[in-house]
Amino acid sequence: MEEKNVKLRIYGMTCEDCVETISRSLLEQQGVMDVNISFQDGLGEVEIDPTQLKPENILKNQVFSRNSHYKATLIE
Amino acid sequence: MRKETKHYDLIILGRGAAAFSAAIKGSEISKGEMTIAMIGTGPLGGTCVNVGCVPSKYLLEASHRVFMPKHPRIDGIYETIVDHDISAVMKGLRSYVSDARESKYAEVIKNYNNVTLYDGLGKFLDRKTVEIGDDREKKIGIVSGSNILIATGSHPSIPNIEGLRDAGYLTSDSLWGIDKLPSSVAIIGGGSIGLEIGQALLHFGSKVIIIEALDSLLPQTEPEIGSALRALLEKEGMQFYMRARIDSVHKYKGRKLVEIITHKGKEKIAVDEILVATGREPNTGSLNLEVAGVKTDSRGLILTESSMRTTSPGIYAAGDCVSKRLFLETLAAREGVIAVSNMFGETANIDYGSSTWAVFTYPQVAGVGMTENEFSKKNGSCLCRTFPLSNLTKASIMGETEGLIKITVDPKDNRIVGMQIMAPNATDIITEGAYAVRNGYTIDDIISTSHIFPSMSEGIKIAAQSFIRDITKMSCCVE
Repeated sequence: MEEKNVKLRIYGMTCEDCVETISRSLLEQQGVMDVNISFQDGLGEVEIDPTQLKPENILKNQVFSRNSHYKATLIE
Repeated sequence: MRKETKHYDLIILGRGAAAFSAAIKGSEISKGEMTIAMIGTGPLGGTCVNVGCVPSKYLLEASHRVFMPKHPRIDGIYETIVDHDISAVMKGLRSYVSDARESKYAEVIKNYNNVTLYDGLGKFLDRKTVEIGDDREKKIGIVSGSNILIATGSHPSIPNIEGLRDAGYLTSDSLWGIDKLPSSVAIIGGGSIGLEIGQALLHFGSKVIIIEALDSLLPQTEPEIGSALRALLEKEGMQFYMRARIDSVHKYKGRKLVEIITHKGKEKIAVDEILVATGREPNTGSLNLEVAGVKTDSRGLILTESSMRTTSPGIYAAGDCVSKRLFLETLAAREGVIAVSNMFGETANIDYGSSTWAVFTYPQVAGVGMTENEFSKKNGSCLCRTFPLSNLTKASIMGETEGLIKITVDPKDNRIVGMQIMAPNATDIITEGAYAVRNGYTIDDIISTSHIFPSMSEGIKIAAQSFIRDITKMSCCVE
């Protein structure tokens, strides 16, 4: 299986605990293989299985839902 | 990435209504963290506030205040001539526009530290990178964006008519600089811009001649409304050349000679000024859209899905540069919001079907949803009723009975699928039609909802009642 690297711009993080919360939620999403988030840069890299998850559906993770404090956009 | 390239989370090409609503929405969702580059030329706020809705409605309102007292409609109220100074009116108009631009755009954007304004024209270098240049194509800088929104708007389209450029003309972009009323104006185009400006100039005292290529005014409206509006404008003194083509324009003894071809043959009219109002074309020609993979239609308007995504991933479009039927400031702002919401993973779509549109003549014309003809073509049959304002108490008290209300319903379930209104305040009362079309209300829903008597909005209720009874045999306030 070929993994795909998806880069995210993540908004709303205020501390390292936010990194933990977002990472945990993303890792629970089907098709997510690995997550690496930088609090300092507000950036995230997500390794996904493209046969199970489309990059844009990462943004539909509940940690980025309408009522959540955290938001994200795709960088590429 | 090039060394000199500055990166932003969002690049917005344009600085009008769509651009501002997108920048504000992006800032709100990200709580001010989204870095945004807003690139454009010309005054902030784009068409609407500077050369569109705002100055044209100001001019119309001012003109009605001169015209109405000269044409009273109530017994015992006598004709009154209103002293006025067109130069002072235009000065007031420009001052109002300037204040509106400052308070609604220039001052507003200062509250968003995450937004950087670039004064220049953007041009794609690739799908993620934009070069900013001045109007002489001198490079100002290069920026890249994770997402890009194209909201570059439009400009008046000028038909290729022999002699027009030499003779000179005004457009809806340049009219606002005049200080003297032209005593006669030929307006090329009988659409909303031509009719609104035409009526404003007519009400101030100009002789106005509309030259229209089609055989009816306002092609998006029900034919009854186009005819009724034309009859009213003719009564006010506006002249029309329908199914007419302009062969050429020449300067002649300080005036402009317009040679028109109609089914009757050639005719020459001499006027002091020409206003070109033949529609608008998108500001997409210099964007280098091909390298970004953004496709346009044959008119250069950008093709989008209802999510405002273009044919290129990560690039969205909103406003008057988008391929669609309705070109409105309110839609542009909505499209900007939808584009940005979708960048954040939401599933938002534009609903053109329940978007209201208007023509701000007096009386006004406003509509929502499908016309009788559109619904019939799509579904085979429809049911519709036209209610003349001559049967409406409020309209007859005001002496303004020229208008009408037309409702189109789906005969299968009586759902309202379209409404058009010609009435003094059509732009206010059409919102009832928008609720009805958007939420699938039936004529029974309208009838069972309380409406004030006597009011113009009551006309919508009576128009709905006309589906179930002969309203000419109905007393006031019958449910």
